Amino acid sequence: MLWIIAALGISLSLAACNNPDTIIDLNDNSYELLNEDSSAVRFPNDYSGKTTLITFIYTHCPDVCPVITANMKNIQSELADTSDIRFVEITFDPERDTPSVLAEYKDVYSLNHQFSLLTGQPPEIDSLLSKLNIVAEKARIDSLQQDSSDYFMRHSNTIYIMDKQGRIRTEYPANVVPPENVIEDLQKIR
Amino acid sequence: MSLYRYLLLILVSPLLLLWGCGSSESNEKEDIAAGTIELADGWARPGAEGMMSAVYLTIRNKTAYPDTLAGVSSDAARKAEVHESYKGENGMSAMRPVPSRVIESGDNLYLQPGGLHIMLIKLKEGLAAGDSVNVLLEFRRTGTRNIRLPVQAQR
Repeated sequence: MLWIIAALGISLSLAACNNPDTIIDLNDNSYELLNEDSSAVRFPNDYSGKTTLITFIYTHCPDVCPVITANMKNIQSELADTSDIRFVEITFDPERDTPSVLAEYKDVYSLNHQFSLLTGQPPEIDSLLSKLNIVAEKARIDSLQQDSSDYFMRHSNTIYIMDKQGRIRTEYPANVVPPENVIEDLQKIR
Repeated sequence: MSLYRYLLLILVSPLLLLWGCGSSESNEKEDIAAGTIELADGWARPGAEGMMSAVYLTIRNKTAYPDTLAGVSSDAARKAEVHESYKGENGMSAMRPVPSRVIESGDNLYLQPGGLHIMLIKLKEGLAAGDSVNVLLEFRRTGTRNIRLPVQAQR
């Protein structure tokens, strides 16, 4: 009898290790955002039933954000089956990243229909980023600043996996995580 | 007579060998002294008109003296600067300008994604994969170098 209880305990522990706990639960939240084609998106409700990779970028970012986008594409291309997976990039910079600017970025980086690039009213984006523990702040570089629209951003560098129930389950350093690490967790969560 | 030749060969061979070694060292020094700044593995990111791009390459200082990358420019953008991405407070990604960077003799300077890069600011026209872009690099000792680089997406 003791052996059975011990075996059950070990099995439960292993199951817990294999299934990452919820980091942030978005179930009770809904954010009104805009897709790059200007269509309305309710986040996370519209992604219910899909496992979603979420990251954060801004289009005036010349170096790190394109690396993050390339990493998202690499994860997508290394997955054998992406039919139940969506890829979302949310801007840190809704003032400049209008839907049409995001559409241009999507085109430049050849992102397919499984990618959504999301923006919204600045207070709505701020509220979502805060809920997701994502930090972004404007940074001025003197030599480049000609007017108030010339700024860069210091920002978090994160990829999240959100499960089909709208719960954030894992997080990674977005520009350096090897795709296989994310894919391994995706297979457990999807 | 053959013994005399044999002894001569024994005496002369080491001298020839030493001369050969000396000649090789001398050539290496001449190569470095006459060497150049080599630019390799360069590419630029795609970008929409009015937006940003970044240029990456390896700079090899094959001269006998230190040199300094002191400025960059490109006719593809309103402005170009060398910047460095770095991890700041709380793991946040940030960026700072790098006005100049010394490259010691024999050293390489790597401009690569997530680190040092040349920022092309406010592109005059959109850059797409398959295009190419001119970049001018100003070195304090060896002067200006122009390089034409392919535009490509990062894999």
